[in-house]
Amino acid sequence: MLLLIQYTLIFASVLILVALGGCFSEHSGVINIGLEGIMVMGALGGALTMKYLPGSMAAPLVILLVILASVLVGMIFSLLLGVAAIKFNADQTLVGTALNLLGPAISVVLVRAINTAESADNVSSAVAYGQTKKAFLANIGQFEFNWFMLISFLVLVVSYIVLYKTKFGLRLCACGEHPQAADSVGINVYKMRYAGVLISGALGGLGGLVYITAGVSEWKFENGVAGFGFLALAVMIFGQWKPVNIGLAALLFGLFRALSNVYTGFDTLVALKIPSTVYNMLPYIISLIVLVFVSKKSRAPKAEGIPYDKGQR
Amino acid sequence: MDNYAIEMLNITKRFPGIIANDNITLQLKKGEIHALLGENGAGKSTLMSVLFGLYQPEEGEIHKDGRKVVINNPNDANELGIGMVHQHFKLVECFSVLDNIILGVETTKNGFLQKGEARKKVLDLSEKYGLSVDPDALIEDITVGMQQRTEILKMLYRDNEILIFDEPTAVLTPQEIQELMTIMKNLASEGKSILFITHKLGEIMQVADRCSVLRKGKYIGTVDIKDTTPEKLSSMMVGRDVNFIVDKKECKPGEVVLDIENMTVASKRHKNNAVNGVSLQVRRGEIVCIAGIDGNGQTEFVYGLSGLEPLKGGKIVLNGQDVTNSSIRKRLTSGMSHIPEDRHKHGLVLDYSLEDNLVLQRYFEPEFTNKFGFLKRKAIREYANKLIDQYDVRSGQGPITKARSMSGGNQQKAIVAREIDKNPELLIAVQPTRGLDVGAIENVHKELVAQRDAGKGVLLVSLELDEVMNVSDRILVMYEGEIVGEFDPKTVTVEELGLYMAGSKRKEVNTND
Amino acid sequence: MTSASKKRESLLRNNALQTILGSLLCIVIGLLVGYVVLLIINPSGAADAILAILKNFMYYPSAVASMKYFGTTLVKASALLMCSLSVLFAWKVGLFNIGAAGQYVIGAGACIYCGIKFGLPWYVCLLAGIVAAALVGGISGALKAYFNVNEVISCIMLNWIGLYSVNMLLSKVKEQSTPYTKPLSSVNKSALLPNAGLDTLFSNNQFVTIGLPLAVAMAIIVWIVLEKTKFGYELKATGMNKNAAKYCGMKEKRNIIITMMISGGLAGLGAGIFYLTGIEQWMVQQTSIPGMGFNGIAAAFLGGSNPIGVIFSSYFIQHITSGGSYVDKTVYCSQISDLISAFIIYLCGFVLFFKIWINRFLDKRDERQAAKELKGGEE
Repeated sequence: MLLLIQYTLIFASVLILVALGGCFSEHSGVINIGLEGIMVMGALGGALTMKYLPGSMAAPLVILLVILASVLVGMIFSLLLGVAAIKFNADQTLVGTALNLLGPAISVVLVRAINTAESADNVSSAVAYGQTKKAFLANIGQFEFNWFMLISFLVLVVSYIVLYKTKFGLRLCACGEHPQAADSVGINVYKMRYAGVLISGALGGLGGLVYITAGVSEWKFENGVAGFGFLALAVMIFGQWKPVNIGLAALLFGLFRALSNVYTGFDTLVALKIPSTVYNMLPYIISLIVLVFVSKKSRAPKAEGIPYDKGQR
Repeated sequence: MDNYAIEMLNITKRFPGIIANDNITLQLKKGEIHALLGENGAGKSTLMSVLFGLYQPEEGEIHKDGRKVVINNPNDANELGIGMVHQHFKLVECFSVLDNIILGVETTKNGFLQKGEARKKVLDLSEKYGLSVDPDALIEDITVGMQQRTEILKMLYRDNEILIFDEPTAVLTPQEIQELMTIMKNLASEGKSILFITHKLGEIMQVADRCSVLRKGKYIGTVDIKDTTPEKLSSMMVGRDVNFIVDKKECKPGEVVLDIENMTVASKRHKNNAVNGVSLQVRRGEIVCIAGIDGNGQTEFVYGLSGLEPLKGGKIVLNGQDVTNSSIRKRLTSGMSHIPEDRHKHGLVLDYSLEDNLVLQRYFEPEFTNKFGFLKRKAIREYANKLIDQYDVRSGQGPITKARSMSGGNQQKAIVAREIDKNPELLIAVQPTRGLDVGAIENVHKELVAQRDAGKGVLLVSLELDEVMNVSDRILVMYEGEIVGEFDPKTVTVEELGLYMAGSKRKEVNTND
Repeated sequence: MTSASKKRESLLRNNALQTILGSLLCIVIGLLVGYVVLLIINPSGAADAILAILKNFMYYPSAVASMKYFGTTLVKASALLMCSLSVLFAWKVGLFNIGAAGQYVIGAGACIYCGIKFGLPWYVCLLAGIVAAALVGGISGALKAYFNVNEVISCIMLNWIGLYSVNMLLSKVKEQSTPYTKPLSSVNKSALLPNAGLDTLFSNNQFVTIGLPLAVAMAIIVWIVLEKTKFGYELKATGMNKNAAKYCGMKEKRNIIITMMISGGLAGLGAGIFYLTGIEQWMVQQTSIPGMGFNGIAAAFLGGSNPIGVIFSSYFIQHITSGGSYVDKTVYCSQISDLISAFIIYLCGFVLFFKIWINRFLDKRDERQAAKELKGGEE
């Protein structure tokens, strides 16, 4: 049971971070379907940093550097979306999809290059970071507490405040709802949209890092992040683009995802004799069902997905 | 020497292919209400965009209080105290009134929004100028009039001295228009300078001090209102004498072609019904006009009638046939034609060629599709050429021109041609003259009357009272989704209609007699 | 202006030519980026590696071997062509079928299962693959039409659901000792697509079957349907302006569902003409979705979303993807090709801007020209 809670919380943390990333981007008016790719890149940045940091380094410093690395890599990668969508009016779905393919491709190529350089026989695409990862964990009795749980919660609170209580949030949302209105009162729509995309890059990258440190101590980059970026988008839609709802939705989805890891620990579930593959499918099936119910009357930002062109009024 | 608040001197702005502003001069005196008159496409919007720094002119300069200024973006304009109420409001629908007012000039403390002071200032201003609004209401929940007051408060909150109103009366009732006129006069007497963009002569005569006229991108002249007449202004605007009265013969109504009983359509925006129990009839040989202020259910009524939205209740009989539950295609092939309200949203596939758009309602007929499902391209081309000639639709490359590259007037002509050539029993025309210049408007009106005289039923939905009064044979006023009055245009006055349109008067209407 | 330059000018304004130019530019930049990445990894072998990718089967000095591997590349390219037709067809109706990957997986599952478990002949297996994939596509279409579910997200979910389901299904027909399905050539030869003599053209490459001409024929059929028929007219109208389509009485919901079914069917057919050659067995422990469907996106956009154009772009994408396996594995890895094709998709996002830019440039030049002529006339 404790294990279930632990996994639920850590997967929920991932979903919260990434879904909030999507939330910022979409509130600024840019659909970020490339979160999956951004997660992979963030994970790559974090994993490589963990790999190369000396094991003797103080835990807080490790945490800080690793987080910084994945956030930075995520942001830089998200700029690819930003430039294409904001500056060049590219189709946001197309470019987002490109990011999703590009992320895993880049990381596999790089990791394999690193691995082969270390030893010519090593052709795997895995990065091991077992030692350094321990910096993120603290055992409270049986419960393995991960600092990311706290960080995600803080990000959630901060996001709520930023979106609803600050000048930045007000302006950001205006750009996603009615960019012409924002422009007419002197808000730089392009800048705000870049801000939205960069925040989504930062949070997506961080989410990717959390995902690969949840439970395992090495990551095969061939696998990407198994559609988690899209689950996060489903969480965002289910949460109707509102931070608090996103938090709750993430807990629900996290629970279903955690089940596939730990269902063997529940006698009743084992007794059902459902193949493990079904548990693997569960989050995707649930999100499909959830989307059916919430998509009809969605409160998506009105101008999302539409390139903003100053000349067109 | 006159004391000018703002001067735009010899402005020229070119776009590829056209000169939008050709050596235009506009001088706004302090404390005056100055009208800017011109047809659609005369260059008013471009001139305003230049004033707001959205475009940079190729020639000419702008002076504020006699000094030359450079305006690179709306922020510069705002700092010079220039504010504008746009024709399409620039309001964020899911924000409150207060949030919309402070957007862009927020006060913050430690990074957090401070709305207390702002609220006080807004309330003070609304009291001072008689602009009542609820600062906490969401824009999507309030009336168009209140939204406009929010826009005005937005300018006042920024202490703007030069206020520009772009076609502000299009969406208002006659009574609301009167209120706006009073507000504008108040503002002018407080020392604000007002630029009033419009094509409605009556309003100019009533409220403006001076008027500048543009035509086809050129500056025609500036006149004092006290020295001019509406006729003079209109011939300045159009370049010839205009006959506003539509020539038409006596109306001879025949049998009923459309019979609607108790139509109810749910609203997407609020819990009440958008259309609530509307019953009406249209006969052959008459033009029935549904008048009303924008947003009182006319759009939903037409959607329900044409099948774009499902009905919640009621019955529609078209030409003796019950079409209440029929598909859109069935209605269209049973004698209904529909000139839609929004030609870009519904009327045209902008990236299709003109010929493909002209067969949009008929492509599936054996004339244009063979029995294997292949299109008969040659027949389509011939048909398109025929319509283009007959209705004088002008375009760059004839039938293969992309609809997107055509002018608004010619796009509308293409739609009108398509819908009328279907030879309908009932022609529904929703704001068919929106955004057209005077020549094109006359044309559309002629076509509507011709359809009437050919024994078709015409249902016209219009927001323009001039059009309502001149074209129709019978007027039905719609208010909050209900028909609240039926009138004969020969006997009713605009003021009387206005009272019904605003909902302050209503009578039980029996349209089934 | 001379008539020659005028001619060149109007040629440049030609939309098709602009698309081709844009695609070529995407390819060049994509390869350059790949080259730069190779340089970063190891500068000394980068040029050889990028050449190896471009050479693909020409790596083999003997003409016989070269032809044989050319055949293999063509077999894969034909499957890819079907996937890109799938993406393209949906795109014409304004839908982004990222689910081609999952539909492909389902199609593979259905036809392999039918072939091994029931011993059915190839045409039945092919049909089973098409139908199964069409149904999955139809689900996304129906969710979009009736519940407004974003098709991209529903497609992704269905991709994963499809992968896990197919893994489960095909575990029942796998070999005892390996995670691979039993080879069709030993279990049920009748499920293999007929070669119709095509294999002899490619040094007896047994995998070259009627799938190849079938794929090209499908591309032409898709082109005819889109350009010449009433159905295509409706679909494109729905894609460009679904409100107008509804207004003039087209059944836009039905069209969305049918489009996604056809789209899925095309991807399923792609899986069929690939796996029913016996070229590969399904690995039932796969944890990532086969890249064919995603590469289909690259090919569809690189081909300017034109059915004839994608014949070439599909071949190109497959050519470099296959070429990836010829790089020096002690230094680089074959996924460099994936990186290049992913980057090409990214660049395709800029093609529209590129066209606008060309036209604006031409407009400006025309204007200057006109101004000059005007001045000349005044003098």
